[in-house]
Amino acid sequence: MSSSCPVSYPFPWAPAPDIPADWRTMRDQPLLEITLPSGDPAVIVTRYKDVRRLFADERLSRNTSRHPASRISASNDLFGDPEIDNDPPRYLEERAVVMRAFSARRIEALRPVVREITAELMDAMEAGPRPAELMEAFAYPLPILVICHMLGIPPADRAKFRRLIDGYLSVTKLPVDEVERCRTQYWDYLSELIASKRAEPGDDLISELIRVSEEDPEKLTDYQLQHWVKTLLIAGYVTTASQIGTGMAVLLHRPETAKELQQDLSLVPSAVEELLRYQIMGTSLGSLRYALEDIELLDGTVVAKGTTVLLSVESNMDEEVFSDACTLDIRREDNHHMTFGAGIHFCAGAALARMELQEATDGLLRRFPSLRLAVPGEELQRPVGGFLAGYAEIPVSW
Amino acid sequence: MAESRVRVTANSETCVTSSLCVYRVPGVFDQDPEGRVLVLDAHPSAELGRELLRAERGCPTRSITVEGLDRSGLDEADEGTARVEGAA
Ligand code: SF4
Repeated sequence: MSSSCPVSYPFPWAPAPDIPADWRTMRDQPLLEITLPSGDPAVIVTRYKDVRRLFADERLSRNTSRHPASRISASNDLFGDPEIDNDPPRYLEERAVVMRAFSARRIEALRPVVREITAELMDAMEAGPRPAELMEAFAYPLPILVICHMLGIPPADRAKFRRLIDGYLSVTKLPVDEVERCRTQYWDYLSELIASKRAEPGDDLISELIRVSEEDPEKLTDYQLQHWVKTLLIAGYVTTASQIGTGMAVLLHRPETAKELQQDLSLVPSAVEELLRYQIMGTSLGSLRYALEDIELLDGTVVAKGTTVLLSVESNMDEEVFSDACTLDIRREDNHHMTFGAGIHFCAGAALARMELQEATDGLLRRFPSLRLAVPGEELQRPVGGFLAGYAEIPVSW
Repeated sequence: MAESRVRVTANSETCVTSSLCVYRVPGVFDQDPEGRVLVLDAHPSAELGRELLRAERGCPTRSITVEGLDRSGLDEADEGTARVEGAA
């Protein structure tokens, strides 16, 4: 990885459930020049301490639409909505409105609901053919059902909703007009949904957001309301689904570790955290930022003003912070990984995602004590051209 | 029992409702109906020291401050993440 010759990002994966070699060596340089899937140039900050600092640095703007910023995808302007300002103070005001639904108390109140959904999915899995395909049978439906419950979306809509989001999240998978069609249909779907909730409010998050925006339209305009619902739906679904699958695949690829966890399920929370750190479902594309000024890294390297910057989730492999970083250790303590980011943009759904991951992991290991991958881990395929890595399919048996 | 010398403060203005502190030390941290951090016990027992320091270090916006604890022996992993000026 030479800085004179930009490498393509994301790095290729091989073999599937292990840490790619590029991840292990990237922190040799604090700043790497990369080429995004769009072909646009950017840099990636690789070291944990820099990454954590920069997540809290307001000289890096999240608003990548009003500058000559690089795009992630040439066919998809996912993070480039010029109507939305993701920088403070506006961002913080809006976020505060949404976050009341994500307090620890509210998340814990949802736990029994998640447990019930998990049990139903496992019932169906058990009654179905073996091997089962974990993504389709379990990992996708679980977060969809949970987010639909939270937002008050009729269960009948979920297949449609999933198709539109999958299209909308294409980075290079679909042609421009297809992405555009999915975007428009998804937007229309949300408009109808919000209109129906306006007419008939329920006891759900969308209805609550509508109430806030009606009380104080300055605080949350109609457009912003729709934007947040869109974002919550997408963020609450694909990321969690990918991580449920990836976490299980990584775990089952190491049968001894899976057994160890099974014998002491009180380790589930720390195992989930470690699988998130070791998470190889994601890329750093979600942390796209734009440098408003020159910013100095800890070793003196400068991120030049006007550069598009990614903050590396691969910094979870920084040996300086995580001992034996490339080894999966389900008992790891002080696991302050960067998977949910840091600073004011810290993943809004982190507590919800954690809870779902804990319930999913605990549920699967309890119900299927002999759960195993039905193909060698190395043969698991990554999906192509989407926003997240994860696995296309995870055949499991028991 | 003498009052603990430990002092915990939290800045609800900069809190982004990650809930990490509430899960980490539930008796000391809670959240208001908006989800912003509340300190339930500003002078918790020093026995909670390690957990309190973890909560302090884990807060994604550095909104938690713990005073009155011996910090020697703490690893320096987070040294570079000390509050950054202008960080919300
Ligand atoms: S850890 Fe920090 S951001 Fe999260 S709830 Fe506590 S004070 Fe708020």
